[in-house]
Amino acid sequence: MPVSCRYYDVRRVTGEVTQVDVDNGRVEQAGTSFFDKAVIRVLGDKGWGVFSVSGEEAEFEKLPESFIKEAYSASLVTNIHIPIQETPSSIHPVPSMKENPADVSLEEKVSILLDMYKATEGPDIVSRRINYIEKDEKVTFSDCYGNSYNYGLCRCGFSVLLVASRAGIVQMGYERDHTISGLNIRHRQDLAREATERAGRLLDAKPAKGGILRAVLDPELAGVFAHEAVGHASEGDLVKEGSSILKGKIDEQIGSPLLTIVDDPSLPEFGFCPVDDEGTETKRTEIIQKGILKSYLHSRETLASVGFGDAGHCRGMPGVEPIVRMSNTFIENGDSSYDEIISECRSGILLKGSRGGQVDPGRGMFQFNAEFGYLIEDGECTTMVRDVSLSGEILQTLHTISLIGDDLALHPGYCGKVGQTVPVTDGSPHLLLDKAVVGGCDID
Amino acid sequence: MIDDIFRAAENVADEAEVFFARTEAISADLKQDKIAIGSKSSGSGIIIRIIKDGKIGVSCTDNPQTWKRCLDAACASAKFADPLTWKGLPEPADVDKRPLALDKRIKTDPYLVTDIISQLKAGSEAYKADITSGSASVAISSHTIANSNGLNYSTTGTQVHVSLEMIAGQSTGYESDTSWNLDQINPQETGEKASFFAAKGQGGEEIETKTYDVILSPMAVSQLLDAAIIPALSGRNVHTGRSVFAGKVGDYVAGEYISLIDDPMDPRGVANSAWDGEGMPVKKNPFIENGVLRSFAYDLRTAYRYDETPTASAVRTGQSGAPAIGNHNLILSGPEFDIFEDKALFVHDLIGAHTANPMSGDFSVELSSPFFAYDGELQEPVRTGMMSGNIFEILYRIQGCSKETRTLGSVIVPSVRLSDIAIIGRG
Repeated sequence: MPVSCRYYDVRRVTGEVTQVDVDNGRVEQAGTSFFDKAVIRVLGDKGWGVFSVSGEEAEFEKLPESFIKEAYSASLVTNIHIPIQETPSSIHPVPSMKENPADVSLEEKVSILLDMYKATEGPDIVSRRINYIEKDEKVTFSDCYGNSYNYGLCRCGFSVLLVASRAGIVQMGYERDHTISGLNIRHRQDLAREATERAGRLLDAKPAKGGILRAVLDPELAGVFAHEAVGHASEGDLVKEGSSILKGKIDEQIGSPLLTIVDDPSLPEFGFCPVDDEGTETKRTEIIQKGILKSYLHSRETLASVGFGDAGHCRGMPGVEPIVRMSNTFIENGDSSYDEIISECRSGILLKGSRGGQVDPGRGMFQFNAEFGYLIEDGECTTMVRDVSLSGEILQTLHTISLIGDDLALHPGYCGKVGQTVPVTDGSPHLLLDKAVVGGCDID
Repeated sequence: MIDDIFRAAENVADEAEVFFARTEAISADLKQDKIAIGSKSSGSGIIIRIIKDGKIGVSCTDNPQTWKRCLDAACASAKFADPLTWKGLPEPADVDKRPLALDKRIKTDPYLVTDIISQLKAGSEAYKADITSGSASVAISSHTIANSNGLNYSTTGTQVHVSLEMIAGQSTGYESDTSWNLDQINPQETGEKASFFAAKGQGGEEIETKTYDVILSPMAVSQLLDAAIIPALSGRNVHTGRSVFAGKVGDYVAGEYISLIDDPMDPRGVANSAWDGEGMPVKKNPFIENGVLRSFAYDLRTAYRYDETPTASAVRTGQSGAPAIGNHNLILSGPEFDIFEDKALFVHDLIGAHTANPMSGDFSVELSSPFFAYDGELQEPVRTGMMSGNIFEILYRIQGCSKETRTLGSVIVPSVRLSDIAIIGRG
């Protein structure tokens, strides 16, 4: 190790991305691109130095001394001493795939997608698009402690987007599925049909009326709620910087005693990390246990300065320095059935599907949007509604969870933070919130 | 290397295009009030596109040495593409080849970023709030676009970017600035504004649910444009049933004094170039003029596919690096007056604008840093609020625009004053 350098690690990701775009029956794009990126991090006398390279410069067997020097020289602008904690290091095996997408020709993938496309025909449907993406990555990691890992991971998936239009009203139906368990596009006509039917049915749905209501969230949307309202605010870097409402709240009851929220990067789901991107072993972290805040998500750096929780949650895009991220985040099962939740809601709204969300963790405000919903009247689902979103304050809303279902389901997606996008899953059983601020285009 | 690619492509393709880009950057990141991370990066990429019998194939790699594999992948990709009546890549034209966004004083020099950080911090002391994070970065990037018709354009540009997030109690403030030119960036002002929103945002009251006159900051305006308006102007979306603007050319789609024009050479642009991502000479594209929908944006592929006129609207973004439809400097304009004079609810930023329905334009988002504004200034802070509406309808609700504009990436926008916007309050 060069003098004055307290720590270094290097992560190189080499891979191929294959994409197919079937737009209204035409193959607009079907092909493969290549990337090779490396990032070298050092801890100098003070803070971090990061050096990113790509292409032929990333093509090294042994880390060149000059790269450590470059990263070290980048660290010279820092003016605060950053301590890090040594953490347990090990790797989980990558589960084998049922069908490796690499073994299936591009021609066959295109033909499977064209077949799926046939299932998207329907009345009032004016636009039909199917996208496929496959990212096959080889990761090599080593650090100055002698830890060294190599693994390959292939993530693939598809999305179906339908637009329906009638009498000036335009609505969309959207479904997607992404996985680490191998090619997932065969025999998926049902999902394509579901999106098609929904686009058509949404033409007749009413705009939602905004206000303060009782709300039931489906597992997909409740997963986004766990991710936006709790997950981000529990990230150790935000806690350290003072931009999380959850700072200083360890061991406090911050939500309903029914509520347990977990982030588990070791789970072989779409957010799976065999080892995190700074070499720490990955494992289950219970952020909230029975309503009490127990842990933050950490990197080696944030664990050293904040404490309370586990490292192993540090992830970065290829060629970019890793930061604290979620992976597979979910609310644990409760004991209420779906029927009980709807009937207990009595009067309110059921929100289904997700168009994403956002949070300001310092202020403690979050927002997320459902794809559609149903009014709940006299304990039964009635009229379909469209364009419903929900926003609220983290610390208030977690106390308003009055029932948790027994039907946990996980949904794959992507999460963005400071310009970096990583694959994640979010999940939950159905939830009942007693007092939710629901946004719709109409107000009284 | 570019000539080698064209020679190799001659035997396998009717036409070929190479886009080569290289970037070097340096940055410093603040964590609280100290610089915790220094970064340097360098990288290049090459994107090869070939056309064979009207079929387009594309591939990219960040290792130009492996161009042969990339060319093979581009050719393989063309096999599956649906053919179109291809009318050719552009011929060389008499375009202005001088760099239009290059500040020669900008080097990847650590002192430059630490100096910007110092200015940012000095500005942040204007009001009492704490820095949570911030950053300063400078980049020098160059690109070459060349095709088998002999077109070969190269340019170099610079970029400087600052951002700052601050907090006071539970009130957060965010501000950023980007320019190609050191004289046009004001880190001190960025710091001042972030501290203003954090410090002055404290102690806000809840408001009642009703309709309000609302002033959207340029940041909020650009988020709504991105969520639904810009996609609806893409010729590809128009022709594939994904735009509510389809079939409405000549109709009113906005208030009668509202215009939305792409002017690639507007001096306020941050990355002006005389050619687009496919080497087509850029020109002004009036999408909406005085409320009337006039035109859509096309790249070559989409124009040829649907027998439209190309508008030089190709940009190079996204994972594949293939040219896609975008805009250069999209300028929103409307009647200018002092929009901060009469009382309105001012919104600095939106939480969740990307969750709007991109087809219908319906949205409901949480407000960030809302204030009541009157007598020309931001006055009392508001605690929370949710704004609902339809983005396309908002084009009709613009009463007026501020004289000052901001450039945010590829859009140039003023603050706008809207009438009768539904706000769900918690009061």
